[in-house]
Amino acid sequence: MSAGSIWVLPAEAVSPAARLAAEDFLVAEAALLDERRFDEWIQLFTEDLEYVVPVRTIRRNGNGSDVDWESRHYDDDYASMSLRVRRLGTDVAWSEDPPSFTRRVLGNFRYAPGPAATELTVKTNLLLFRSRGTTGEHDLIAGERTDVLRLVEGELKIAKRHVVLDQAMLGTKNLGVFL
Amino acid sequence: MTHVAINVEERLRESVRPETGEIPLFVYADPEVYKLELERIFGRVWLFVAHESELEEEGAFVVRQMGEQSVIVARGDDGEIRVFLNACRHRGMKLTCEDRGVTSYWRCPYHGFTFANHGNFMGTPFERAAYPPDGLDRDRLRLIEARCDSYAGLIFATWTPEGEGPSLPDFLGDMRWYLDIFAGRAQMELVGEAQRWVVPSSWRLPAENFASDAYHTATAHAFLSRLGLVRGVDFGKAGYHVDAGGGHGLGMGVHDDDPGSYFPEELEAEYRARLDDDQLALLHRIKNFHGNVFPNLSFLIPNFIPVGGRLVTGMMLRVWQPMGPDKMQAWSWFLVEKDAPDWWKTLGRRMYVQTFSSGGMFDQDDTEVWEAQTAVAVSARSRSDEVMLDYTMGLDATPLPDFPGPGTVYDGKFSEAAGRSYYRAWLDLLLEEGR
Repeated sequence: MSAGSIWVLPAEAVSPAARLAAEDFLVAEAALLDERRFDEWIQLFTEDLEYVVPVRTIRRNGNGSDVDWESRHYDDDYASMSLRVRRLGTDVAWSEDPPSFTRRVLGNFRYAPGPAATELTVKTNLLLFRSRGTTGEHDLIAGERTDVLRLVEGELKIAKRHVVLDQAMLGTKNLGVFL
Repeated sequence: MTHVAINVEERLRESVRPETGEIPLFVYADPEVYKLELERIFGRVWLFVAHESELEEEGAFVVRQMGEQSVIVARGDDGEIRVFLNACRHRGMKLTCEDRGVTSYWRCPYHGFTFANHGNFMGTPFERAAYPPDGLDRDRLRLIEARCDSYAGLIFATWTPEGEGPSLPDFLGDMRWYLDIFAGRAQMELVGEAQRWVVPSSWRLPAENFASDAYHTATAHAFLSRLGLVRGVDFGKAGYHVDAGGGHGLGMGVHDDDPGSYFPEELEAEYRARLDDDQLALLHRIKNFHGNVFPNLSFLIPNFIPVGGRLVTGMMLRVWQPMGPDKMQAWSWFLVEKDAPDWWKTLGRRMYVQTFSSGGMFDQDDTEVWEAQTAVAVSARSRSDEVMLDYTMGLDATPLPDFPGPGTVYDGKFSEAAGRSYYRAWLDLLLEEGR
């Protein structure tokens, strides 16, 4: 490639190999959730995990952000996410037993290096289809994920997940399914 | 004659029997009952609309619901807090469609009718060209206003005019003593926006659950003991059950641990300044605290649990907004002492979110139950017999003679007395008894 070409990537761009690894990882992670393999799923997170889902509000243009980070649907760390997984493993986790059928679709992958040298930030759009029972109805939970992936001893792990949901009034009766 | 043919009021009068612990299934999701509730409960009684901490600035407003009606709760430029129907006096358009803001006026987006933040009609575009030269009648076009008052930082409103119906202090009655402990023991603040979500359930099922039902914890939330987070059923039984009258009810789990209070030492002076000795002594024994202000304001101090070597809890304020006989909105806030140490605020919010919130580990199981109860209740519409439910727990129990707080108080949380009292107040309102 010659200097001056519009096809020269900026120095900070993420390599195609790294992008592919990250995409494969997140797609496989979504499959673990849809297959309800929570014990394997929780092992994909680092022990300093930050899992946060802020509340969305209705604001006029110019009247501040409509994402309220002070108020949260999830405000979790590795210990509490592990507890949630252990709860799902009991025979009394009524809200997901019998379980919801879920289908997660990830798209619009956007990559940025960092924040740390071993880390990669990936933004994705999440569509989470959820159906429960026999009403013939379903919930569609949409949002934007921002994940920080970290290379730990040669394996990718999720160190941070923020999910900004696209509803101020959630149309699902609880967030008993992971985002 | 089957009940299908009889008038709903007659059916309620015959089948709702709180004093003997008998409540018919149909009331859980009946469209006719719901219509009566909107008119005779949500259209008349005091309803929680906001917390004072949300409206500190002049011109600050939040948009809330009173029953199915959208209202604006605003602090006017004169410093007064008022509650208005969120409807333009010209064509009924919503004056504001956002959740909150700060403004000195609302200008209707349809034709431009403009109203000051204290409710007065200010004018409309080309007013003297479109209307008689002296303009429109200012008084006639004032915003429709609800009566408003507050207690322990909690702002309530009612559509019943001044001089009719009880004052807010009278409406809250004996519940005030307990609200002092929950919401008045310190200057409190709501943190951020409400979490909101739609649940396919009658609004009343969670309200009566918080008022009266400590017993479900051991089964519905059995994961606690399965995971070794609590011992046995003690977390449900040890404490008090309170029928506070007027349909208000609560339960308290208590401990007698040494050295005592689970609440932060840093706030002790403020608690002492705001509570009397009996209230303070009770606060020091609290390990959990749940209740409901009739009809639909629930509050909770979830069971304290150790996090990072400290015992913490996260206080919840929750409104169950009706959206139909079988649908509601949950509005949920984290409430905390304004001058609390950072660890109490941070860990408290985390506790609240993880236990009782849209994604809370307890809430999930509850919403599942309320939805299924509501779905089952629909079957009552096509049955000729009246399916009666059992509300008799603690029916023969003797109240404590010497509990320091008011209301009818029972030793141990396993009782449905407050639930029976809830349905008595509810029935009297629906049938307009005593009006």
